[in-house]
Amino acid sequence: MKLSKTVIIFISILLLIYFVGCSAVNAPGPNEEYNIKVIVKRQTHDFWAVVQMGSEAAGKEFGVNVDYIGPATEEDIDGQIRMVEAAIEDKVDALVLAAIDYKLLVPVAEKAKAAGIPVIIIDSNIDSEKMDSFIGTDNVDAGRILGKAMIDVLGTKNNIAIVSFVKGAASSNEREAGVLSAISSYTEINVLDILYCNSNEEIAKQLTKDTVEKYPDIDAFVCLNAYATVGTARGIIDLGKEGEIDIIGFDSTPEEISYLEKDIIKLLVVQNPFSMGYLGVKYAIDAIKGIRIPENINTKVEIINKENMYLPENQKLVFPFID
Amino acid sequence: MPINKKDNLPDYISKVKIKQRFKVIRNIFRLRSLQSVITLSFTALTILAMLFIGIAFYSTFSENAENNATASTQQIMEQATLNLEYYLNSMMEISDMIEDNMDEFASGNTDKLESMLSLTLEIRDDIVSVAIYSVSGDILLTVPDYEYDRNLIATEQNWFSQAAGNPFEHIFQPPHVQRLFADKRPWVVTLSKEIAINISEMPRSYISVVDMNFNVIEDVCSRVELGRRGYIYVVDKDGHIIYHPQQQLVYAGLKQENIDKALSSETGSYVEDYEGEKRSTVIKDISYAGWKMIGISYVDEIVQNRQKFNQLIFVIMLIGFAVIILASIFISYKISQPIKRLEFQMNRVERGDFNIEPLEAKGEDEVKQLTRAFNLMIAKIRQLMSQIIMEQEAKRKNELKALQAQINPHFLYNTLDSIIWMNENKNHEGVSNMVAALAKLFRISISRGSEIISISDEVEHVNSYLIIQKMRYKNKFEYTIDLPEKLRNYTTLKLILQPIVENSIYHGINKISDKGEIKISIESTENMLIFRVADNGYGIGIEQLKTILTSESISKHSSGVGLKNVNERIKLYYGSEYGIVIESEQEVGTTVFIKVPLVKG
Repeated sequence: MKLSKTVIIFISILLLIYFVGCSAVNAPGPNEEYNIKVIVKRQTHDFWAVVQMGSEAAGKEFGVNVDYIGPATEEDIDGQIRMVEAAIEDKVDALVLAAIDYKLLVPVAEKAKAAGIPVIIIDSNIDSEKMDSFIGTDNVDAGRILGKAMIDVLGTKNNIAIVSFVKGAASSNEREAGVLSAISSYTEINVLDILYCNSNEEIAKQLTKDTVEKYPDIDAFVCLNAYATVGTARGIIDLGKEGEIDIIGFDSTPEEISYLEKDIIKLLVVQNPFSMGYLGVKYAIDAIKGIRIPENINTKVEIINKENMYLPENQKLVFPFID
Repeated sequence: MPINKKDNLPDYISKVKIKQRFKVIRNIFRLRSLQSVITLSFTALTILAMLFIGIAFYSTFSENAENNATASTQQIMEQATLNLEYYLNSMMEISDMIEDNMDEFASGNTDKLESMLSLTLEIRDDIVSVAIYSVSGDILLTVPDYEYDRNLIATEQNWFSQAAGNPFEHIFQPPHVQRLFADKRPWVVTLSKEIAINISEMPRSYISVVDMNFNVIEDVCSRVELGRRGYIYVVDKDGHIIYHPQQQLVYAGLKQENIDKALSSETGSYVEDYEGEKRSTVIKDISYAGWKMIGISYVDEIVQNRQKFNQLIFVIMLIGFAVIILASIFISYKISQPIKRLEFQMNRVERGDFNIEPLEAKGEDEVKQLTRAFNLMIAKIRQLMSQIIMEQEAKRKNELKALQAQINPHFLYNTLDSIIWMNENKNHEGVSNMVAALAKLFRISISRGSEIISISDEVEHVNSYLIIQKMRYKNKFEYTIDLPEKLRNYTTLKLILQPIVENSIYHGINKISDKGEIKISIESTENMLIFRVADNGYGIGIEQLKTILTSESISKHSSGVGLKNVNERIKLYYGSEYGIVIESEQEVGTTVFIKVPLVKG
């Protein structure tokens, strides 16, 4: 039966070619319906809405499901912990977390890691070595940039007060340290006081008024987040000191932008929340696939002033929304 | 199968067994068997056909898939381009409307144009605002009439400076934050145009500004889906991004688009490598504004579809192969099984076993026919065989009868002569003795047609014969018969002693001058009865002795006819181990041993 043997061999070869052909085509697989949970500090806020835009852009680009949530206020630590717990329950494929609290979110985040869920921290880090990556502003660097920009605008001979947000909070401390290191070599810059507004505009406003009363010769306030910046600006407006006492601020809410246009705020250091959301999701996908990702990614900050705020490359940063 | 004479039997049997075992193994792998031939050829043919169809189908599909992907991208983008052009055109219409009414506006009648524009804006959600500037940058009209932003210096804005001095061109600006009005910072696409008119022979210029909500363009563009991950972006002729779904990423340097290449390419499509992935790029021109729409789709997604298709084909083929193989095994089994059954039966017949049940005729028509024919043949053979057996039986019986009937007629008329002769001599006692003996002789020899008679009858028969012969030969011989009492009731084939005795008398004693002597004795071994007839006659020559029981050529009257006759009858009836043995020495005498089985009556 020589014929049938030949036929068998022929078929075997054909099959072999076919298999090899198939496996060769089997290149990169699709991101089969990964579910990625993005838990931020606050559900509705300009800054976090841009984070959401970024995360959803990544979700669309890489073909994954992105679910974005956050508590109603930035003080709701328990609420955020519950959200992380729920995400672990739901067995999401990866978690992207902007931690409200540096310490208190550690156990639940580590629990998620222990459950085999990759955790990417964005914007605000937690006190844990176990997380896959931190993506956000390098706060020391941002503080330093803020300090240098202030010197460029106001000169090297000033009395200033720093309006920080939460005493002891990591990001707070780092930004302070950055600012102080930038001005450390300038002996004629006096830091009159460091104030903590607890991320509350009203407290910031009151602190501003008190400080101006206490130090009448103050030249400028250096504010380290959006709440501090807005509160201080309102305080200055209340006091009628626009143009006399300058404000150097952080972030770019519409209210801050309007103060920048009116010269009440001299400059703003603007973070890149879109990149945080985008990279958070992008690296979460890599983490799910087991691709090594960098432990620390610095999303750059930009200095925005009245002159450059309408440049095409800055408009998206300053005015992130179409409407 | 003929037994090779060199083999002894156990060797032969073991060889046959080994052969049979080997046959079983061979049956499984036997490539020559009907089943495997059908299975293999059927499977091979079908799989080949499937493979060729599958491969042809696959290559056609994958080619089509890529073409279709590009074609559908083109089509989708065509639609998006038309939508964008519609919006840009509508802005130009508003701009033209302003131009058409500019004479009247410039001459002081501003209400008409203002009311027209207000109406237009009320109807058109997509238009954010319309403004008219003097060429020196003074604002003359805005619709809606919100508070102006005092900080805005119009002449420094691109939309103003680029329009000024270009009275025939529509100038489109990339999306930007418009700050015409205090506290309003909408994202808009701006169309500006210089309007040059003559009022009272004096040339005057104005700048018209139409802002369209960028939302509209964003909506049109973001709704375009090119596969799962594909997208479009729009650039102006200088490469500024009008729309990009990840505009922030591009500005932040996190994403690079090869805008220069797209700009320098003609309208059409090409495939490029982007961060290790193959992307198909399709470029379309957008009229009016000099923009270009660039569609990006990922070749991987097309490939993914192809992979899914591959897997589908593969699975279908695999299932198909399994089904085909099983089906062909089944079909070939179905076809070959009745033939195998037939083959098995034939093997049995070949070994000589005709006692087989007729096969049930099942399977295909041909096989049924074959089975029926085979059954018929076996039945016929069996019938023929039994016919042969019956015929042989009949023939044997006839032969027996014929042999028994061969009592020498000379004997009868010689005896009758003797009776007549004795009667004439008034030897009445002799007559009556002889007649009595003759009567007894015939009674026993007829014995109601039975072939088997008791030993005592047989002895009585030969005794009667000897009585007659002794009287006829006038006591030329003496005889003795020794029949042990215990053997009287055993049986024997009848008329076996008389021909021997007849032979002794005619060819033995008759040829000697001395007084003859015949001794008949009967003895038994364990399973055999032996008649012994000894005489002191002439004897049989050595040459004759060799052929006396087998030779055909002996004439009826020559010596040995009776011996041969008896011998054949015994062998016919009882079998070859029985019969006659003759010992003879010339001038001394002859002893004949007749062996028959020991059978109780």
